[in-house]
Amino acid sequence: MLMMLLLPAIISCQKVIDLKLKDASGQIVIEANVDNNNTSIVKLSQNVSFTSVNTYPPVSGATVTISDQSGKSYTLTEGIAGNYSSSQLQGTSLNTYNLTVQTGGKTYTGRSTMPPAIALDTITAKNDEFNNGNNQKEITVSYSDPAGIKNQYLFLMYVNGVQVKGIFVYNDDLTDGKHVSRPLRQDDIDIYPGDMVKVEMQCIDKANYTYWFALQQQQQNGPGGGVTPSNPPSNLSNNALGYFSAHTTQTKTIRVQ
Amino acid sequence: MLKTFAFLIILFAASGLYAQKKFVISGNVKDEATGEQLIGASIRILEIPNSGTSTNNYGFYSINAPEGNYTLLFTYIGYQSFARKISLRKSQTVNVSLSTKTNLQEVVVSANKPNNDQVTSPQMGLEKLNMAQINQVPVLLGERDILKTITLLPGVKSSGEGNTGFYVRGGASDQNLILLDEATVYNASHLFGFFSTFNSDAIKDVSLYKGGMPAEYGGRLSSVLDVKMNEGNNQNFTVQGGIGLISSRLKIEGPLVKDKGSFMISARRTYVDVFLKASKDTTLQGSILYFYDLNAKANYHFNDKNAIYISGYFGKDVLGLKNTFGTNWGNSTGTLRFNHLFTNRLFSNTSLVYSNYNFAVESFSTTNSFKVTSQITDFNLKEDLQYSLNNNHTLKFGLNVLHHAISPGDVTASESSGINSKSVEKRYGFENAAYISDEWKAGDKLTVLYGLRLSGMFLQGPGTFKTYDAAGDALTSQTYGSGDVVKSYYNLEPRFSASYLLNEETSLKASYNRNTQNIHLLSNSTSSSPTDLYVLSSNNIKPEIADQVSTGWFKNFKENQYEFSAEVYYKWLQNQIDYKNGAQLRINQDVESQLTFGSGRAYGLELFLKKKYGRFNGWVGYTLSRTERKFDAINNGNYFPAKQDRTHDLSIVGIYNLNKRWTFSATFIYGTGNAITYPTGKYNINGLTTYSYSERNGYRLPPTNRLDVGATLEGKEHKKYHSSWTFGIYNVYGYHNPYIITFRDSKTVPNTTEALETSIFSTAIPSITWNFKF
Repeated sequence: MLMMLLLPAIISCQKVIDLKLKDASGQIVIEANVDNNNTSIVKLSQNVSFTSVNTYPPVSGATVTISDQSGKSYTLTEGIAGNYSSSQLQGTSLNTYNLTVQTGGKTYTGRSTMPPAIALDTITAKNDEFNNGNNQKEITVSYSDPAGIKNQYLFLMYVNGVQVKGIFVYNDDLTDGKHVSRPLRQDDIDIYPGDMVKVEMQCIDKANYTYWFALQQQQQNGPGGGVTPSNPPSNLSNNALGYFSAHTTQTKTIRVQ
Repeated sequence: MLKTFAFLIILFAASGLYAQKKFVISGNVKDEATGEQLIGASIRILEIPNSGTSTNNYGFYSINAPEGNYTLLFTYIGYQSFARKISLRKSQTVNVSLSTKTNLQEVVVSANKPNNDQVTSPQMGLEKLNMAQINQVPVLLGERDILKTITLLPGVKSSGEGNTGFYVRGGASDQNLILLDEATVYNASHLFGFFSTFNSDAIKDVSLYKGGMPAEYGGRLSSVLDVKMNEGNNQNFTVQGGIGLISSRLKIEGPLVKDKGSFMISARRTYVDVFLKASKDTTLQGSILYFYDLNAKANYHFNDKNAIYISGYFGKDVLGLKNTFGTNWGNSTGTLRFNHLFTNRLFSNTSLVYSNYNFAVESFSTTNSFKVTSQITDFNLKEDLQYSLNNNHTLKFGLNVLHHAISPGDVTASESSGINSKSVEKRYGFENAAYISDEWKAGDKLTVLYGLRLSGMFLQGPGTFKTYDAAGDALTSQTYGSGDVVKSYYNLEPRFSASYLLNEETSLKASYNRNTQNIHLLSNSTSSSPTDLYVLSSNNIKPEIADQVSTGWFKNFKENQYEFSAEVYYKWLQNQIDYKNGAQLRINQDVESQLTFGSGRAYGLELFLKKKYGRFNGWVGYTLSRTERKFDAINNGNYFPAKQDRTHDLSIVGIYNLNKRWTFSATFIYGTGNAITYPTGKYNINGLTTYSYSERNGYRLPPTNRLDVGATLEGKEHKKYHSSWTFGIYNVYGYHNPYIITFRDSKTVPNTTEALETSIFSTAIPSITWNFKF
């Protein structure tokens, strides 16, 4: 990360290149979310080769069930192809949920516990500390981390309805019990006054933190590349790609001044 | 164990009793002009075949002969040979000063009497670098650099474009022991690896052991880079320096007491920040970025028997970005040495060595201000003895007590900051060793260098030490008091190498050695970073072990003008360290739970043709090699290529002295690209394009190649001063060597992805330096 500051100063050159990459497509991808906002959804798809367009074939006709620790079970029904949901399923903090997906003769399972909800206090736009010559802004989120328990947070940011390509995942290793204000640093979309910015905050469990942290590490490009990339450690069985996350969710939107 | 050593010593001593009554000739070999001790100068008695020896690290030699009249011949590369007739009736001291001669032509062409040391010595895998040659090799931005020059040798690979990190025979970068006057240098790079901590002005001698490590060295698996500083001119005061594109250097040296003591101070500072200020980017304009080095040394020779040396290094990198954050890191080392000659056969050196590496990162943000500091501090007491039993046996033995104190990370923050203060427990340990080795001339043709090193590692409290399950959760936890031994490891490391002379110009050599390592670098990024963290062997981390066998054919041509060698090696590695996926290495009390352990193997062939003498000199090195790792948790437990695995690696270095004033040089490198992991598919998660991966390091970066050229123009001769200009062009044909390959959503074709290659130093980069001396 420090290195990136130096890179523009040394003579560098970038070009798009063609690589002959193997095609290991057709693996199942499970993106399963249970939240406290009645928007729980399980999306099933397959991965595609690197050279294909970014369209991922949905996996239809699967049997998807989610049960909680009291033994209550919900069967999710398919709406749009590959998207499974249930109007009955309303997640609650501290409940543990079990996911079962049966498709193509295989069964995939996962388990996740929804952490307590922590309030997203504010989102604010401040002058970007690194690019402040042209009135560019940086979004800062603030929340009060409860002391004595482990908390993990995932943020999703949208600028004028377009999702920022970046992973904002944090834990409270260094902020336990603090009032935290955290800039969401990114260089994907420049933010200026007048932009509408929406931030979703999720309180996620430890396994999902590790999943997102591993992905985030691989995005950092130090000298010669960041961490050797690999599929992040998933809480799903049977080598499925993706994750199962029971999390709280809340969003705030501001117009940047 | 100690009993075994005692037994061996008695055995050798006893064998001496039966030898014919001999006298000892001993003394020092120095540079006539500066009084610097010459390391590795060879001494032969012309009348006695196979009687050669060489000076040790302090310029001392000792050689035996029965009563008689002899001619002693002293030779050293770059110096005029010197013959001295002696009449040996009793043991005597012969101190000699060799001259480089001022006439360049003569020095290069005739003054060097080539010898066949490389053929006769049992030592394998040793590369000695000639500082004069290093100073001619063209380099990036004119910064002469020993670490970059060694990557031009076979078996040594650069860790990346413009980077000083290096890999030796498939080892990782933390498996190199880098010593500066016996002090460990933990982070030998400046500015993220673009420059090394070694300022060539202050360096006298560089030896790199790639294999066949002598028993006096230990603690790292793959190599020893032994760098020694200049002692300082004990004849005259001199000032020399250079003004370059990104840095300036100044060195002052002179006698403290003529012929007896001298000092040397050498400093270097970069001014990269000047370039940043010129940048259009406002953020860069407000930033700080520089490093500096300071080397100092002094010595005093009380008499022929006693000498004291004190030397130190201090270097720092400072980087800051306006009002947002600042970081600095650096090494400091100090060495105090005492040489004592007990008898003219027994030479002793006692060293007390200090080494420290630290870094600090500070955030000045109003809401989240904090400071992170981390450091490692070593104290090392060494006793090394050299005993010349007779001309057939030279014994070396010694003891080493090394204490480590590691502070992995302290976060300090004010009450009002959004960050908590936090401290990761410090770790303490001893790495102790005892060794003995003997260089035995077993006959006219066979020379054997064999030895044994016993290493002991003791991890000590205070602190809480845990064990972990496969998921990384704590299984047990035990608290130890100060000084309590938490875990200890003993390892016996046999070292053996032998040369068999087929004729005066040809030999066969073979070696086996075991090395162990008890201090490990934790870094899951692909190149050196100032925040690199070291851990000691512990209840979770076992000592790393390497066993290496190698054999080679050594041949000199044209009266030793050309040296050729072909070496093959095979290395087994145990208890290697890698990281779990998503490992959290920084400020983590349970960092050992983030590791995974496996094994490795490396093998290869190294061809090396060198012309050390003449107007045209240089070398061609070629390596064919493979290095692989195996971890249960990675790549389904199958072998995979390590990132430094490079099938082909070719370096060509040529230096041509056109006349007294002009010298031209060129280097060319070609190498297979690093092993790398590329995606084999993609999917969408949370609205983000995410890549899926199959095997670890299953792909290759494109091959790298580069041509650099340089020229030196010596100024006209003056009585009072001397000056020269050094010109260089790095990457002459502007080849775009890949530095990073990244994958992203296409910026041009919607709904697709693309691979992006970033190159650095991808155009020809000229440099110019003005050097002076008076």
